[in-house]
Amino acid sequence: MLQCIFLLSDSGEVMLEKQLTGHRVDRSICDWFWDHVISQGDSFKSQPVIASPTHYLFQVVREGITFLACTQVEMPPLMGIEFLCRVSDVLSDYLGGLNEDVIKDNFVIVYELLDEMIDNGFPLTTEPNILREMIAPPNIVSKVLSVVTGNSSNVSDTLPGATGSCIPWRAADPKYANNEVYVDLVEEMDAVINRDGALVKCEVYGEVRVNSHLSGLPDLTLSFANPSILDDVRFHPCVRFRPWESHQILSFVPPDGEFKLMSYRVKKLKSTPIYVKPQLSSDAGKCRVNVLVGIRNDHGKTIDSITLQFQLPPCILSADLTSNTGTVNILGNKTCSWSIGRIPKDKTPSLSGTLVLESELERLHVFPTFRVGFKIMGVALSGLQIDKLDLKTAPSRLYKGFRALTRAGEFEVRS
Amino acid sequence: MFPQFGATADTLSKASTMVFRIGTDAHLYDDPDDVSIAPLLDSKFDSEKCEALKRLLALIAQGIDVSNYFPQVVKNVASQSLEVKKLVYLYLLHYAEKRPNEALLSINYFQKDLGDPNPLVRAWALRTMAGIRLHVIAPLVLVAVGKCARDPSVYVRKCAANALPKLHDLRQEEHALAIEEIVGKLLNDHSPAVVGAAAAAFASVCPYNLSLIRRNYRKLCEILPDVEEWGQIALIGILLRYVIASHGLVKESIMFSLQCTESSHSVKDGSDADFGQVKESTDMGGTCDYEFVNMVSRCYIEGPDEYLSRSSYANRESFQLTDEQFTSGKSNDDVKILLYSTSPLLWSNNSAVVLAAAGVHWVMAPKEDVKRIIKPLLFLLRSSNASKYVVLCNIQVFAKAMPSLFAPYYEDFFICSSESYQVKALKLEILSSIATDSSISSIFKEFQDYIRDPDRRFAADTIAAIGLCAQRLPKMAHICVDGLLALTREEFVTKDFGFGDQEAGILTHAILSIKSIIKQDPPSHEKVIIQLVRSLDSIKVPAARAMIIWMVGEYSTLGEIIPRMLNTVLKYLAWCFTSEALETKLQILNTVCKVLVGATEDVWTFKKIFSYLVELAECDLNYDVRDRVRFLKKLQSSNLVSIGQEEGTNDLPEKDLLHVVAECILGRQTRKVKAESFSYRFYLPGSLSQIVLHAAPGYEPLPKPCSLLLDDRNVPEGTSEIKKTVADYSGTDDYGTSSEGSDDESASDYDSQHSVAESSGSGRGDDSEFTSEGNDNADPLIQISDFGNASENQNGVSQSGPANLGELMSDRALESWLDEQSGSSNPGISEQSQVRISSARISLGDVGKRVKPKCYSLLDPATSGNGLKVDYSFSSEISSMSHLLVCIEVFFKNCSSETISEITLVDEDSNRALDAADKAADVNQSSLASSDNVPTLVPMESIASLEPDQTARRILHVRFHHHLLPLKLALYCDGKKLPVKLRPDIGYFVKPLPMDVEVFIDRESRLPGMFEYTRSCAFTDHIEELNKENGDSLFVKDKFLAICESLALKILSNANLCLVSIDMPVAANLDDASGLRLRFSSEILSSSIPCLITITVEGKCSDPLNLSIKVNCEETVFGLNLLNRIANFLVEPTLG
Repeated sequence: MLQCIFLLSDSGEVMLEKQLTGHRVDRSICDWFWDHVISQGDSFKSQPVIASPTHYLFQVVREGITFLACTQVEMPPLMGIEFLCRVSDVLSDYLGGLNEDVIKDNFVIVYELLDEMIDNGFPLTTEPNILREMIAPPNIVSKVLSVVTGNSSNVSDTLPGATGSCIPWRAADPKYANNEVYVDLVEEMDAVINRDGALVKCEVYGEVRVNSHLSGLPDLTLSFANPSILDDVRFHPCVRFRPWESHQILSFVPPDGEFKLMSYRVKKLKSTPIYVKPQLSSDAGKCRVNVLVGIRNDHGKTIDSITLQFQLPPCILSADLTSNTGTVNILGNKTCSWSIGRIPKDKTPSLSGTLVLESELERLHVFPTFRVGFKIMGVALSGLQIDKLDLKTAPSRLYKGFRALTRAGEFEVRS
Repeated sequence: MFPQFGATADTLSKASTMVFRIGTDAHLYDDPDDVSIAPLLDSKFDSEKCEALKRLLALIAQGIDVSNYFPQVVKNVASQSLEVKKLVYLYLLHYAEKRPNEALLSINYFQKDLGDPNPLVRAWALRTMAGIRLHVIAPLVLVAVGKCARDPSVYVRKCAANALPKLHDLRQEEHALAIEEIVGKLLNDHSPAVVGAAAAAFASVCPYNLSLIRRNYRKLCEILPDVEEWGQIALIGILLRYVIASHGLVKESIMFSLQCTESSHSVKDGSDADFGQVKESTDMGGTCDYEFVNMVSRCYIEGPDEYLSRSSYANRESFQLTDEQFTSGKSNDDVKILLYSTSPLLWSNNSAVVLAAAGVHWVMAPKEDVKRIIKPLLFLLRSSNASKYVVLCNIQVFAKAMPSLFAPYYEDFFICSSESYQVKALKLEILSSIATDSSISSIFKEFQDYIRDPDRRFAADTIAAIGLCAQRLPKMAHICVDGLLALTREEFVTKDFGFGDQEAGILTHAILSIKSIIKQDPPSHEKVIIQLVRSLDSIKVPAARAMIIWMVGEYSTLGEIIPRMLNTVLKYLAWCFTSEALETKLQILNTVCKVLVGATEDVWTFKKIFSYLVELAECDLNYDVRDRVRFLKKLQSSNLVSIGQEEGTNDLPEKDLLHVVAECILGRQTRKVKAESFSYRFYLPGSLSQIVLHAAPGYEPLPKPCSLLLDDRNVPEGTSEIKKTVADYSGTDDYGTSSEGSDDESASDYDSQHSVAESSGSGRGDDSEFTSEGNDNADPLIQISDFGNASENQNGVSQSGPANLGELMSDRALESWLDEQSGSSNPGISEQSQVRISSARISLGDVGKRVKPKCYSLLDPATSGNGLKVDYSFSSEISSMSHLLVCIEVFFKNCSSETISEITLVDEDSNRALDAADKAADVNQSSLASSDNVPTLVPMESIASLEPDQTARRILHVRFHHHLLPLKLALYCDGKKLPVKLRPDIGYFVKPLPMDVEVFIDRESRLPGMFEYTRSCAFTDHIEELNKENGDSLFVKDKFLAICESLALKILSNANLCLVSIDMPVAANLDDASGLRLRFSSEILSSSIPCLITITVEGKCSDPLNLSIKVNCEETVFGLNLLNRIANFLVEPTLG
């Protein structure tokens, strides 16, 4: 079981420590940890499970904040990691993002949340909806109120009813004047295009996000027109397994508010919405770069916020890159980022320029990988379609809304 | 007026940040101690308290020790504001262990909160109370947990389950059974949330007590999908262990390979017959690496450390599974229901749950069903980066064991540039182990891309992976080698210019891979060797060169072309010898020698080259080279000699001998080494140990198959851990509970008991200390005194009441027993002196007369100012007026030379000062009838006058409001008022409750678990006693008696108890008092609740004894305090 949780800032400062069991963990473990981070660099920071001389450490890094949990005994490592991920999700949800300042500013809430989320090293209440009822998130109103009245209790006086029910994700009996359910398909496309320009892998990782504001105890069923295309699925605890097993129907009592109903994966897609063609030719200590980006097949929807990022190889001394559309930036860590935005009608965006290699090098023998970003509103590239959404005990008026969105996930083009 | 606002404005210099931080606790974190915290804590406004607590919390967050505020913070635990409460709890838990004494002060408030109508308050109180790790309050916590386990609120019950591991963590053996009982109850709860928490508690409290699971197995399986995700993880593990322990492994699963393991170990290749059936059954699953699977499954059951240590010796046979330990997954319902209920969990949103469910399927599911876990596992790779690594570590083992499972999904292991190096390396390894003939071409294409990756370490690993692929798939070896060769050529072009360490590593890896591929089938790769040798000129990396040169020597006789090249190659090597690096030099020497040994033609040239090299090397700067060449020279001396003498006559036998030696050492003897080293360690899927590759503390392999059933069948021989722990637990709890084991057992125990007693220890060494007292009664030899009579003597008012115990015990009886004891102290007994076989009773005659209650001083003549001395002692007399009153004997003595008049003691608060005496009668009659109205002090009869040196004695009836807090009284004399303090002694808040031993034991057994508290302490009084009687041989036997006497005397002089019995071990060594047991009974004055005390002695007679004191009482707080009191006075040396 977890013994202690530390929150470290990106400079290695221990911002918070929460001891979870009687066996206290000394802060010095963080010094040990940070010494190793400094001496071993990123490869240490990306190690989720670390065996230190005294403790086993689980590490999750989110937006510069390191969540470090310690244990001394055998426990499922994924449990520790998953829990830290939940903590970071809940915190960033509460505080509207994660960074050093926001955690320090709200340290009391962080403490209170941690105390509710874990008891004696074992997760207690991790359901965001219940947590929200127990500990009020900071918002403008409460902030102003606290300044004016000097009274700032954010701890609820009563136990949320949901803790006792068999559907712990749902707050007891909310009442709404307008009953609404919104279902969003949010998809991320992962693709790998190899050096020869062939599509090695193309798949969509999608989430069904639901935002429900329904009175009482609604029982929803959601079905897809083409569930057979789904390769893998994972469900929110509210989804009943058996109807899915037999008829591929999602039957559930939704939590109140926004939540992730399911995540899925559709594999072996045949094409990507845009193409990226990098060409690198190098000789005589130089390397000419030319990258073309264009729309491959039109979905009828505009492709937004197209970006291209790549890491210049370490052997490059200087780079001179220009583009005919959008802006090119070369950041300090030799990351080159080209933001295109929308593709103009009249021309094909292209990036070109030369890279100067280190003096002894004749030719470039390592090549960068281009990471592509884009966003398409209104379409789910996997082709998944929602058939219908039913509410068993239908209230008088129910408003249903559906949306779709596709983003680039791990979209990589090798050169 | 607005403290927060003021502080914010003052402390924040940057106005811009203020806008965002306004109303948050930012200022508290930035400057936690800019105001003094102490006054805020004492404020009467909740908001100010809150602020102070938040400041403290900020200091804790920053790692500053603020435990010095503890007392002030603890006070606030009584606050009604939930926020204050929460903050106090946070603080309290952080420091409770550091400040145990102050933490105790909060206990009362927790107790109060536990009765609060708000479940949130109850839950918080329980959580915090259990979180304060203090041994003293453990019994209270246990009671509280027991109460909360029956709470109507699910949340509170869940917190109760969570509190159990906290209690267990204190390692108080005597509570173990009670804790397990609660675990069992909570596991049976109807709410899934509670069951989940109970499962987690079970896993940490009593993981071996699988019989608890047996009762609820079906129900637990059914409820599993509804349990909270975190509880599911624990519950899955428990159910898996239970099924294996009770039903064994599944025949159709991978674990079955264990069954035919022995043959495969002894004859690795020739075990086809045994494997036949397995191979057939896995047709649909494709192939799997049997030896590997076998090793993995063996590690699951035995733990790798055990397994590996054993496999290094030759006795692998010690662990064998029989057919009986396997069950059929198709017909066994329990197995089926487990798999059925865990399979939907593969869709869980929580990766830990998915992995745990996958682990169950991996171990238990029939091979053809295992593939069900593949896709969910692969889907986990799309969750966070951290979990990706852990999942891959597990997939790595699965994929090695059954590559066919993952082979179709090779694309999922293709690498993204954004992944961390560890993830990339794992993916490469998995790819190389699942590559098949059909997928290798696409994988190989990917590999070629990876070689261009800017991360050169990763590129080097890719090259190593190519080598592995080629070894696994000999058909692809040629393509791989071609690719690698092309690489060596390509890389060295860049080599001339940029020459980083990493590039060198890539080249070395490439050559290494080629080398290992060639080793598999040298003849078919002849051309490759030639090409490599040709490229020697351009390859500059020493390690790579050394390897190529090694290949020259190794394959010098291979094929047709190589032998012909040798001449030139060796000349080249000799030519560049001086400019080489160390490792290359050594390798050149070796190679030339090898060639020389194997050469058939051109021998003369080779000899020339060799002697040239010898000359060069003998003058080398490096001693390694010089040593090596001296050794080789000696070895090749015959050859060298022949150079000088050309055709000369040699000593033939000597030459032959050296030649043979040289051939043996240098000749071809590379055997095929197992590519996979067996240093792999395998732990259960999903465990921490599997990631860190060593057994983390607390790691447990799977239970031995069917161990649960075996235990039930023959209990006495049960040597498994499960049984052992049960025995341990019942060992600490002396009576009753052990009978839970099995009923039929007790009969046999009874018999053996008799025989032991009669023969005084004929060598039965088992755990018959569980004997119930009934057995003893039936045994004439051991029963010495008649306790039924002893208690007749008792009556409540008798002053020497408790001491009269056992006066009926005749001297003769005692002597006869003592004689018996000495007579039977034959070798047989001393041999097993440590085994406590049975116990006998003894009783003490005149203890009562020697009881001297302790005297305390109420008023010193020096302080009183007028020479009045007042002492008091607690009397064992019972107040006849009210059961709330304690009798105290007060002695007044006039030490001055003048007469003191009008002495009286009154309650300080009382306003009836001097005329109290008049009302005494009143009080006696009226108000005492109702207990609520009992006064603090029944007014005492005042002493009109006290002459010098005269003493007066009065009996005072006092009602203490608290059994620890002193009572303030006022003493009037000569018209002056003197404040005095009367300290209570909890030992006299009880009155003797005479009872039989049988009754005692019966009552004791009805007060188990939470009503039982134990402490141990040292006892030294008897040493003095023993020393007094030193030298007198007659008294040697009486050591026990002396100990009992001094112990009983001490206790009876300090507390108003009734001595029930003294048990002593029959088989005890003369010098070993261990096992001596004294029982005292009493009844709490105010509530008439019985309070039973048992003292068990441990240790040598002449040394300080270790006493373990046990109190059984329903009133927990009282019992605990009494226990502490007893322990305290037992430790104190007796004065006078």
